[in-house]
Amino acid sequence: MKKVIYILAGVLLSFNMHGQVIPQPKPGPAPKVNVGKPETFSLKNGLKVLVVENHKLPTVSYTLTMDNAPYAEGAKKGVSDMTAALMGSGTKKMPKDAFNEEVDFLGASIGFGSQSAHGSGLSKYSNRILELMADGALNPVFTQEEFDKQKAQIIEGLKSDEKSASAIAGRVGGVLVFGKNHPAGEYLSEETLNNVTLSDVQANYNTYFVPGNAYLVVVGDVKVKDVKKQVEKLFGSWKPAIAPNVSYSDPKDVQYTQINFVDVPNAVQSEISVVNVSNLKMTDKDYFATLLANQILGGGGEGRLFLNLREAHGWTYGAYSSIRGGKYVSDFSSSTSVRNTVTDSAVVEIFNELKKIRTDLVSEEDLKNAKAKYVGSFVMNMEKPGTVARYALTTQTQGLPADFYENYIKNINAVTAEDIRRAANRFFSVENARVVIVGKAADVLPGLESRKMPIFYFDKYGNPTEKPVAKKAVPAGVTAKTVLDNYIKSIGGEKAAKGVKSIYTKSNATVQGAPVVLTSKVTSDNKQAVELTVMGNSMMKQVVNEKGAYRMGQGQKEEVKGEELAELKASAVPFEELTMANSKDAAVTGIEAINGSDAYSVKKGDTTYYYDVKSGYKVAESRDQEIAPGQKTTIFTYYGDYKDVKGIKVPHNIIMNVGIELNLTVSEVKINEGVTPADFQ
Amino acid sequence: MALGSLLMLGGVASAQKVAFEEYNLDNGLHVILHQDKSAPVIVTSVMYHVGSKDENPERTGFAHFFEHLLFEGTENIKRGDWFKIVTANGGNNNANTSDDRTYYYEVFPSNNLELAIWMEAERMLHPVINQIGVDTQNEVVKEEKRLRIDNQPYGNLIAEVKRNMFKVHPYRWATIGSMDHLDAATLEEFQAFNKKFYIPNNAVLVIAGDFDPAQAKKWVDQYFSKVPKGTPVTRQKFEEQPITQAFKATYEDPNVQLPMVVTAYRTPSMKTKDAKVLDMISSILTGGKSSRMYKKIVDEKKMALQIGAFNYSQEDYGLYIVYGIPMQGFTAADVMKEADAEIVKLQTELISEREFQKLQNEIESNYVSSNSNVEGIAENLASFYLLYGDVNLINTEIEIYRSITREDIREVAKKYLNPNQRLTLDYVGAKDKAQN
Repeated sequence: MKKVIYILAGVLLSFNMHGQVIPQPKPGPAPKVNVGKPETFSLKNGLKVLVVENHKLPTVSYTLTMDNAPYAEGAKKGVSDMTAALMGSGTKKMPKDAFNEEVDFLGASIGFGSQSAHGSGLSKYSNRILELMADGALNPVFTQEEFDKQKAQIIEGLKSDEKSASAIAGRVGGVLVFGKNHPAGEYLSEETLNNVTLSDVQANYNTYFVPGNAYLVVVGDVKVKDVKKQVEKLFGSWKPAIAPNVSYSDPKDVQYTQINFVDVPNAVQSEISVVNVSNLKMTDKDYFATLLANQILGGGGEGRLFLNLREAHGWTYGAYSSIRGGKYVSDFSSSTSVRNTVTDSAVVEIFNELKKIRTDLVSEEDLKNAKAKYVGSFVMNMEKPGTVARYALTTQTQGLPADFYENYIKNINAVTAEDIRRAANRFFSVENARVVIVGKAADVLPGLESRKMPIFYFDKYGNPTEKPVAKKAVPAGVTAKTVLDNYIKSIGGEKAAKGVKSIYTKSNATVQGAPVVLTSKVTSDNKQAVELTVMGNSMMKQVVNEKGAYRMGQGQKEEVKGEELAELKASAVPFEELTMANSKDAAVTGIEAINGSDAYSVKKGDTTYYYDVKSGYKVAESRDQEIAPGQKTTIFTYYGDYKDVKGIKVPHNIIMNVGIELNLTVSEVKINEGVTPADFQ
Repeated sequence: MALGSLLMLGGVASAQKVAFEEYNLDNGLHVILHQDKSAPVIVTSVMYHVGSKDENPERTGFAHFFEHLLFEGTENIKRGDWFKIVTANGGNNNANTSDDRTYYYEVFPSNNLELAIWMEAERMLHPVINQIGVDTQNEVVKEEKRLRIDNQPYGNLIAEVKRNMFKVHPYRWATIGSMDHLDAATLEEFQAFNKKFYIPNNAVLVIAGDFDPAQAKKWVDQYFSKVPKGTPVTRQKFEEQPITQAFKATYEDPNVQLPMVVTAYRTPSMKTKDAKVLDMISSILTGGKSSRMYKKIVDEKKMALQIGAFNYSQEDYGLYIVYGIPMQGFTAADVMKEADAEIVKLQTELISEREFQKLQNEIESNYVSSNSNVEGIAENLASFYLLYGDVNLINTEIEIYRSITREDIREVAKKYLNPNQRLTLDYVGAKDKAQN
C-alpha cells in the first residue's frame, strides 16, 4: 500500500451541461449618484461639526472623534485602554449608576474611547442623548475603585486570549513589522498595565481628549439649527488645546524574505500572514490602482488568493489581502488560516499570486470586475445616511482635494492594467516580506523547512527564541523492540501475525471528483502488487517479486534498482515489524503528537514509523522523499479505524498526503486467500 | 420617576411601517416585494425552509453544506463564476444557515435586478451538484469548522449545550454537523437532499429596494415559473420529555484559559408569546450596564469578567442560556449563586414601573434598528413568512411585546427558569497535552 507514487493531480472528471440555456441578463442603465455635502460649522475651541439631516428613520447618531497623531505608550502601554475603560463611569454631575440607568432607560447606546465618544438612539430623545454624551465626554470622574476593577477585568481579558492563535498572530505581527516601540507595534501586557496609575489616566485624558483636532458628526432625524444651538451650549466651554504630535521613524522591511514562526502547540490551524510595510497615502497617484490591485489579488470571494487557496485547493475557509491608504505608516498583508498539514503549500501559493500580479498584466475582465465592485459599493454605500458625513470627514482629515469623492468613480474607471502592475510592484513586496506563521511546530515545521526559506523563531510576544523542540522525552525502558513488539501484540499477537501468509485489501477514495480504487496484495515471502485504478483504468501499478521490482504508469514502465529495491523488498511483507524488532537500524527517536495523540516514533532509514503510546497501533508512517533535485519533502501516511479480520486488527482508514489528500476507506480485506502467484508477474 | 414620565410625553408609536405586497406563483413559490426608493440599491433573497433539524441523524451537516454547495454553479453559471458575476456587477452576496432555515441573498445597485432574479432562479432550477463541488466544499467546510469552532475559545459552547439539552429532537446536533457524516455521504445523497428541500414550494423569494414592481413581477414570472413544483415537504414532529431533574456536564476546550459556567433551560418555540417574554427577561438581566446581573455580579461584586443571559429561540424549541466567566478568586458556584438569586427575584417580585418603561423604550429602539436598512427588512420579511407564518408580524410584532405585562414576566420566569429544569455545564480548558 505504501511507497506508491501516484500521478493523480491531472485526473479530472468533465461534466456535461444539459438542460435549459437561459442567458445571463444585461444590466440596466447605471443609477445616478449624488454625493451630498453635510452642513458644517466650527466652535472657537476648534471643534468642527458636520451635520447630515436624514428623516427616513426616527433615529439619530452622534460621533465625536479626535484626529490626533498616534503615540507610543511605552512602559505604560495600557494607559489609553484604562482611560477608555474609565470613561463613562460617572461624571461630575451624575454618578455612574444613574448615568448607565438613564442610557438604558432611553433604549440608547452611549460609549466612550480614549479619544472618542458615540451616542445613538431614537430621535425623540436626541437632546438628552447628546447631553449625556457630552457630560460623559467632558466631565469624567476617574476613581481608584473603578480603576482597580477595570484593570482586573482587562487582565482577565488578556488571559482569556492567551491561547488564541489569532490573538497571538495579531500581537506578534505588530511587534515584528513595526517594532516594539512604535505606536502600531507595541502591545498591552499585564506587566505594562501594572505601571499605569490613576494619575496617568487623568494626564492621558487631559493631554489627548482635546478639541483642537476634534470632529463631531451628527446624522439623522434632527434639524441643523437645533443641533447648532445645542452643540454650542454643551461643547462651547470645552477648554481649547491641541494634542502633541510626536514623530516616529518608519519601520523598515526585512532585507530578505523570511519566515517568522511562533509555536502554539494547541493550534489546529496555522495563521499565515505575508506582510510588508506600506506608506500608501490617499493622495498617492497610484492610490486607486493599488486598491484595485489589492481587490484582484485578495479583495474577497472572487480574489485570486481566495480562488486559489479555498476554491481550487480547499485548504482554508478564506484568504484575503489588505492595504489601507492613510497619512500614517501601515502595512500590506496577505493572510489566511489553513489546516496544519498544508501550511507550507499555502505559503508557496500566496507567493505565486504575489509574483503573478507583479509580473503579468491583469486581464481586461479582472480589471473590469474589480472596478465594478468598487463602483458598486460606492453606489450602495449611498443607502447609509452616515456615508456623506464619513466622506466629508475623510476629505478633511486626510487632506484630500475637495472633489475627491465627486471624482471617485471617474478615477476608479481611469485605472489601466499597467497602473495595477506598477502599483503592485510599489506596494506588494516579494523580496522583502515577512511571513508570520503562528501554528503547531510539531505538525508544520518539517514542511516549512523543506521550502528553503530562512526561518526565525519567536515566542508569543515576538521575542527571538530557539527552534521549538517538538519531541517529548521517551520514558526509560522503551526501545524500538518494546514498541514494535507491543504493536504486534496489539494487532493480535506474534502467533497470529506470523500465521498471515498473504493479505489482500481493496480500498476506495475520490480524488478531484473521480472514484479511485487501490488494491494491494502482499505475501510473507516478500512479494507485493499494488495497483491504482481510476474508473476502471489502471493509473499506476507497482510490483515486487523474486526477480526485482517495477513501476508502471501512464504507459511507461520503470525498473526499481539499487538501494530503493532493497528497501522495497524489505517492506514487501504483511508486517515488517516482525523482523524490524530485531534490527539494529531501527531506533526510537521520541514521542510526537499524531492527530492529537502521543505516538512513539521509530526511525529506520528514510522512514519513520509512529505507534500510538496508548493503543500500540501503528498510526502513521513518514518518509523523506526527493520530489525534485535538491528538493525534499516528507510524505505522511496515516492509519486508523483498526478492525478485526480473522483475529488480526487491520486499519480500515488510510490517509496519504502527496500534495493532494487521498483518503482511503478499506472496503475488503482477505487474509490467506484471494492472492495467486500470477498477481506478482 | 419625574424624568420617566416626562420622557413618555415623546409619544409611543413613531416607528415606520414597512409596506409590502405578496403573492404565489403556480409552482408554490411565495413572493414578497418591498419597495424603498431612498437609495439605488436592491436586495434579492431566497429563504428555504430547510436547516440542520431536517437532516438524517446519520448525515448531519447537510443543510450547512448546501449553503456552500449552491454557490458552485448552475447549468448556465459555470463553476467558480458565481462570485465573479456578482462582483462584476458591483454587488455582494452571502448565505447563512440555522437549525431551521437557509438564507441566500444578493445586494446590487438597482440596475441589476434582473440579473439578481436570474441568479436565484438558476440556483433553484438547476444547480450543478457534482463530485468536484462536493469534494471542494467538503474541505472548505472542514476549515470553516476549524476556524470558527475548533480554534476559537468557547467555540463549541452552543453545540455542547444543544447536545445535552435535546435527546430526541434534531436540535441535538451542531448546525455545522459531523465531518465524518459529510465524508461518508455519496453524491446521490446530496442530489436527493437538493431535490427534496430546495424547491419553490418550500421557499420564499423577497425583493426589496429601489425597483418598479410591475417590471419585477414580470421578471420573477419569466425566470421562476420555469422551476417545477416539488413534492411537498412533510416534517416529523419531535417531542422532548420535560426536564424535571437538574443535571451536570463538563466540556474541555484546549483554547480556553478561563473556565466558563453555563446553565441552560429548555423553552418554547420562538413563535410563542412566552419566547418574547424571555427576550424581555434577558434585557432585564443582562441588557446594558444598568441590567440586574451585570450591575451586581460584574460591576459591584466584581465576581465575573462577563455575564450573559439570552433566549436562543428557534422554530420548535428554545434554550434559555445563562453564562459567566468567574474572575480570579471566585468559583463557578459563586457566580451562579448570584445569578440564581436574580432569577428568584424575578420569579417572586414584579419589576418596577420604571424598569418596565425602560423595556418599552428598548423594544422600540430594537424595532427601529432591526428594520433600518433594506437588507434587514428583506430577511425579516422572509423569516416572518416562512417560520412564523405571518409576514405582517414585521409591523405587528412590536404590539405583542407591548402587550406583555409585569405579571407575564414574573409568571414566565416561574414557569421555565427553575433549578430542577436545567443543565449546568462547566466549560473548562483542557489540560495541556504538549508543553507551551
